[in-house]
Amino acid sequence: MVRQARSEATRQRIIDSAVDLINEIGYPAAGLADIIERAEMTKGALYYHFDSKEALASAIMDDGGTRVLNAFQAAGRPGSPAMENIIHGVFMVTDTVRKDTLAQAASRLMRTFGGFNPAAKTAYGAFLEAMTSRVKTAVAEGDVRADIEPEVIGRAIFGAMLGAELLSDALSAGTDMGKQVVGTWEVLLLAIVQADSLNYYLEFLSRQSSRAATARPEDT
Amino acid sequence: MTEVVDKKATSTRLEIIRAAAREFAVKPYSLVNLDDILTHADVTKGAMYTHFRSKHALATAIVEHQIDVVLTAVDKLQTSYSSALETLIDLSYLDATADMSDEMARASFNLLESVGRFDGFQATVLEGWVAAFSNLVRQAIADGDVTETSDPVAVGRLVVSMFLGLRQTSDLNEPKTLIGDLEATWLLMLPAFADPRRLEYLRGFIRRRSALAIRNTAPLVNRNL
Repeated sequence: MVRQARSEATRQRIIDSAVDLINEIGYPAAGLADIIERAEMTKGALYYHFDSKEALASAIMDDGGTRVLNAFQAAGRPGSPAMENIIHGVFMVTDTVRKDTLAQAASRLMRTFGGFNPAAKTAYGAFLEAMTSRVKTAVAEGDVRADIEPEVIGRAIFGAMLGAELLSDALSAGTDMGKQVVGTWEVLLLAIVQADSLNYYLEFLSRQSSRAATARPEDT
Repeated sequence: MTEVVDKKATSTRLEIIRAAAREFAVKPYSLVNLDDILTHADVTKGAMYTHFRSKHALATAIVEHQIDVVLTAVDKLQTSYSSALETLIDLSYLDATADMSDEMARASFNLLESVGRFDGFQATVLEGWVAAFSNLVRQAIADGDVTETSDPVAVGRLVVSMFLGLRQTSDLNEPKTLIGDLEATWLLMLPAFADPRRLEYLRGFIRRRSALAIRNTAPLVNRNL
């Protein structure tokens, strides 16, 4: 029991160290030797938990992916329309990726590995499924167009958000992420929301983003 | 060992509260007798009297239990970036749907009206409720949703009064009626204190919640049939 707890603590320390390095210098530059040194561990301890550098990356994508998915799910409230929950959920995901170093490293890794790594594929798949299920509800509630497949809409939202994150990361080191996400949403809403719901959701988006901007003034 | 005993005592207490709520939800205070509650709760008279010395003590406990439930819900509603006026509106819908579909909520609203008028309990609970709503209105003024000239306490009091009155005049067994009345009252009250530029959005916010509440609420009476 004690031994198991200690082993878990060791594993966590290696992950923490890898997460810091991936966020600071990127995955390719973060060597196993650096990770071990920062974690103050032996090579043996690392290999006991992870077969390879990629196994370590997979663990980070698993844990970080779960955290991002939870942030999205927790943002949904039963008394609120699904389309509100989707927009709010994406804001919460953006926040999690900004503030939570594990989630941040995981999202960087997923971009690096994409379909080449099963952990990245699983995490993307789970998120896409959660998004599509919300979209289905939003269609049933009459807020989202029924003439497009919910899967297609879910994919478009998820893809656009990933792209916005990537561009913001590449062009402004992630500092204008909030602004990018809002701009992308405006275009998306025009495409997917029913005409008589459009003004409401544009206003909902602008309220969310102005409150988000107040919460993190460095973004404006 | 004590911990085990404590845990058992807590669960017995909760079981009695739940059984009592089932009675108070459907009968006036004066018609509820402790023997009926005992039959439902599957506890001995001795156990009941260890926890509650009187019907009044039991009634108070139900209301207090429900307050805890609502406070937890408020924490959940106030997520990041939520606006205070939206939280206030959401709370009124939450109370209304709980009043229709949840025995504990129904019992506790019933009891709030029938007990504690003379011992100050009712006043304490209502004061706390008004104070919590007034705080939300204060934040809503800061958010820009409520006009600066509005008196937070007066608005808080108005919303509480509206809800307590509505559950008397409307139909708790018919979601369409109760939620329809709740919506109509909100739409009527809003222009009195909401920023005119936010009105259209807030109307949309309210209508969307009404539609969901009507669709998702299963009233107690239908379920018991």
